[in-house]
Amino acid sequence: MTIVNERKLTIARAMAEAMAQEMRIDPAVFVMGEDIAQLGGVFGNTRGLVDEFGKDRVRDTPISETGFISAAVGAAMDGMRPVVELMFVDFFGVCFDAIYNLMAKNIYFSGGHVTVPMVLMTSTGGGYSDAGQHSQCLYGSFAHLPGMKVVSPSNAYDAKGLMTAAIRDNSPVIFMFHKGLQGMGWLGTEAAANVHVPEDAYEVEIGKAAIAREGSDVTIVSIAMGVHHALKAAKVLEAEGISTEVVDLRSLVPLDRDTVRASVRKTGRLIVVDEDYHSYGVSGEIIATVCEAGDITLKAPPRRIAYPDVPIAYAHGMEQFCLPNPEKVAAAAREICRTAVPA
Amino acid sequence: MTTDIRIPEDLYDGDEESVITAWLASDGATVKEGALIAEIMTAKVQNEMTAPASGKLTILKQQDEVVAKGTVIGQIT
Repeated sequence: MTIVNERKLTIARAMAEAMAQEMRIDPAVFVMGEDIAQLGGVFGNTRGLVDEFGKDRVRDTPISETGFISAAVGAAMDGMRPVVELMFVDFFGVCFDAIYNLMAKNIYFSGGHVTVPMVLMTSTGGGYSDAGQHSQCLYGSFAHLPGMKVVSPSNAYDAKGLMTAAIRDNSPVIFMFHKGLQGMGWLGTEAAANVHVPEDAYEVEIGKAAIAREGSDVTIVSIAMGVHHALKAAKVLEAEGISTEVVDLRSLVPLDRDTVRASVRKTGRLIVVDEDYHSYGVSGEIIATVCEAGDITLKAPPRRIAYPDVPIAYAHGMEQFCLPNPEKVAAAAREICRTAVPA
Repeated sequence: MTTDIRIPEDLYDGDEESVITAWLASDGATVKEGALIAEIMTAKVQNEMTAPASGKLTILKQQDEVVAKGTVIGQIT
C-alpha cells in the first residue's frame, strides 16, 4: 500500500516533533539537558526546538547531571512537565538518587498528593567503539526499580507516539532511545527504523507490545535495536523454512506479559534478544514470565542472546564479538527449531 | 519531465565526501516540492535536502552510500 505524501522520519526527528507538538499546546512542558538547545541535541532529538520556543523553555545545562536531573524532579513536583535529557544512560550514577529515590517514589511518600510528571530521555546502546562508559543499555537497571515507566522505541512511528504518551503521562517515564536507531550516520544507520510518521499528534499506549512480524515456529522477543536483529534473522530463517514471530516490547514497564505469553503459547519456542547484560535483567524476566504462566508448553529450552556480563570493550573486534547480531539470533533459532520435541 | 535531485554546491562548506544517512521517502513514493527527503552527513554535521519538484521519487543512491557535491542521488518524475 503506497502512502500518499509519504513522510518518513528518523527517530531523532520523531522525538523532536512530539516534543514540539506538546510544547505548543501545554506551556508547562519544557526541555532541559546538555547541548539540547543550540545544537539540537547530540543525537538530533531536539532539533528546531530552541528556535521555536526560546531559551527559557529549551535550556542548555552545565555538565552536572546531579544538579539538573534533581532540578527537573523539583520542577515536576512544582507543576511543570519537564523533558530532561541524560545524554548517555551510562551517566546515571551521579544522579540516580534523584531518579529512583525521588522521582520514582515521591508520589508514594506523599500519599498521592505530589506527582512527578517528568520524562527522562536517555541514549542507550553501542556498536561503534565508544567503550564501557558510553555504550551500555542498562534496561534492567531501570526496569527493576519500582515507580517509573520505561519505554524504548524501535522505529520512528513508535518514537513519536511513545514520547507524546510519556509527556502526557502524570507518572515519571524513562524514554530510552538507542543511538544506532537515531539516524545519526556516525552511530550506524538502520533504515528500517525510519518509517512513515503521521503529521498529527498521536499516542502509542505505554505498556503495550507490538507484533513486528507474525510467525508460528519460534517467538523472538526484543526491544529497540534487538527488534531489528530479530527481523533480519527472521528473513533469513524464512528462506530455510522456519516461521518466526517477532515481539517488539516497546515498553519494559509496564511489561506486556500477556502478549509475550500468547506468542510463546502459539509457537512453543522462545528466544530473547537483549543488548543489556545477560544476568539479572530483561532476558531473564521474559523467560520467567513465560515459565511461570503454567499453561505454556515449551518445545525447547528458552534461549537468550544478550551482552555477556563484562564491561564493554573499546576494541572494535572485542565489542562486535560480544554484541547480539542477526547471525547469532538465526543460529539460536535453527538450534531450537531442530531440537527433538520431548514425547 | 524528470528533475534531478543533485547535492548542491552550497549544502556544506568544503569539498569533502558525504554520506546519505537517511532517505525520508521511499523509492516510488509521491513527494511534494519542498518536503524534506534526505539527510546527508559530513563528519558529524547533518545537512537536509528537500524535494526540488513534486512527483514520483526514484532513488538512485542508497542510504549509506558515499556521495559528493554534484552527485545526482535521485530523480523526480
